[in-house]
Amino acid sequence: MFENLKEILVLKLKMPPEHIVPEATKEDIELDSLAAVELSVILGERGITISDDELLEAATVGEMAKLIESRSTNL
Amino acid sequence: MSRHDIAVTGLGLVTPSGIGVEPNWAAVCDGRPSAAHDPLLKDNPVRISCRVPDFEPAQLLGGRRAHRLDRFTQFALVAAREAITSAGLDIATWDGARVGVVLGCAAGGPGTVEEQHLILTEKGPASVSPLLLPMQLPNMLAGQTAIEFGATGPNLVVATACASGATAIGTASDLLALDRCDIVLAGGSEAMITPLVMAGFAQMGALSRREDDPAAASRPFDADRDGFVAGEGAGVLVLERADDTRARGARARARVAGYGASADAHHITTPHPEGTGVESAIRSALADAGATPGDVGHVNAHGTSTPLNDLTEARVLRRVLAGAPLVTSTKGATGHLLGAAGAVEAVFSVLTVERGLVPPTANLRTLDPHIDIDVATAATPRKIGLALSNSFGFGGQNAVLAIAAA
Repeated sequence: MFENLKEILVLKLKMPPEHIVPEATKEDIELDSLAAVELSVILGERGITISDDELLEAATVGEMAKLIESRSTNL
Repeated sequence: MSRHDIAVTGLGLVTPSGIGVEPNWAAVCDGRPSAAHDPLLKDNPVRISCRVPDFEPAQLLGGRRAHRLDRFTQFALVAAREAITSAGLDIATWDGARVGVVLGCAAGGPGTVEEQHLILTEKGPASVSPLLLPMQLPNMLAGQTAIEFGATGPNLVVATACASGATAIGTASDLLALDRCDIVLAGGSEAMITPLVMAGFAQMGALSRREDDPAAASRPFDADRDGFVAGEGAGVLVLERADDTRARGARARARVAGYGASADAHHITTPHPEGTGVESAIRSALADAGATPGDVGHVNAHGTSTPLNDLTEARVLRRVLAGAPLVTSTKGATGHLLGAAGAVEAVFSVLTVERGLVPPTANLRTLDPHIDIDVATAATPRKIGLALSNSFGFGGQNAVLAIAAA
C-alpha cells in the first residue's frame, strides 16, 4: 500500500518522489489540509472511504499507508 | 507627491511571442505573428488563438507548485521572476513589507472553473477539487505572487477587462507616489483561452474568423481586419520611485510619467463612437506627465484588429495628437492578451523608448482608407522621448500610460 500511496502522491498530487519515504511527516511532504482533501477524493474514486481529517491524523506517510490499507475493500 | 518620478527598473514577459523579454522583443520587432489553429478549440466556431509556446510550468515552477496554480498565475510568477531579476533585486534581502503587488486580470482562472464544473456534473460535488477556489479567484494572482517572493506590502488585483494590465500599472504608480510602499510588482496576466470563453467571444462577433490563414488574422488597422485573436500570457514591471532607484544604484529603464483613466459610460462592448472617454484619458495622462499632445512621439495603440476599435481609436489619435506620432499595435504579433495586454504593451513601450526602436504592426498590408494615422509597418529606429500606451476594456474602461525616456 505504501507504493500505491506514493504513486498517487507523485502522479496525482505532483509531489517530489524523493521526499516520499515511510518516515516522512506531513510537513516533510507539504501535505496540507487541501492536499488531504485531494487525496481523500482520489482514494474515494478507488473505492476507499477515508476522510481528510483521518488522513491528517497519521503522523507519517508510512502510518497513512497503513491506515488506508485498513480501509481498503478487497476489490 | 508627484507621479512624474516613477522609474521602471525591471521587466518580465511570457507571451505567445515568447518566454522572456528579449525573445519577445525580437519576435515583435520582426513582425512575426503568433496566431495559429488551436487544437483545444477544434469544436468551436473560431479555432484561432495565440498560445504561449513551449510553456512547461512544472519545469519553470516545480511540479507541486504548478499543480496548485491556474495557468494565469503560472504565467505571472514566471514573468515576475524575470522582472525582479532584471531589476537587480534579491528577494532574500529586500524588505518585503515595502514591496507591493498590483496585477490586472480580466477573468481569473476560467480554465480551472470549467474543468471542475465538468467533474461536478460527471462525478458529483464530492469529487470537486478543494483547490478550485484558491486556483481560480482573480485575487490569487497577487496572493500567490506575495507567497512566491515574500512581498508583504499592499497586495491586490484590479479588473478593468482589457485595460486591467494598464490600470494595474497606473494604480501601482499611485501607491508609490503615496509612499505606501517602495517597490511594486505591477502588471497583468491572463489565461482565458477555454472552449466556453472562446465560444462567448465568438458569439459576440468579436473574433477574427480567418480560418484559412490564421497567422494573418490579427492585423490591426488593416483594411481587411475582421476581429481580434485571443492570446494569453503575462507582463510584469518593477516600479520604484526614481529617488530610490538612484539611491540603490539601479538603472531606470524608463519612467511611468503619467496615467489617465476614464469610463466611456456608453455601451458594454462598443466603444464610444467619438472616443470622448479615450480622449479624456489621453489628456489626463498627458497632464499628469506635464506634457502636451505634441510631445508624444509614439503610441502603442490598443489596436485589437476589430473593425470598430481600430477605427475609433485612430480617429481620436488623429484628433488629439497633433504631432502625428508613429503608432503601432503589437497585437498583430502577440494577439490580444486581454487583462495582460496593457502590461505587456507597457513593457514594449518601455523598450521602445529605451532602445529608440518602434516595433511594426504585424500583418498590416493595406491601411484602412478611413484610418489617417502613421502606423509602423517595419521596425523603425526613432528617438522617442514620450510614448503613450492605450488600453480599453469592455464596459468602456480606458487606461492610458505615458511612458517617458529615463
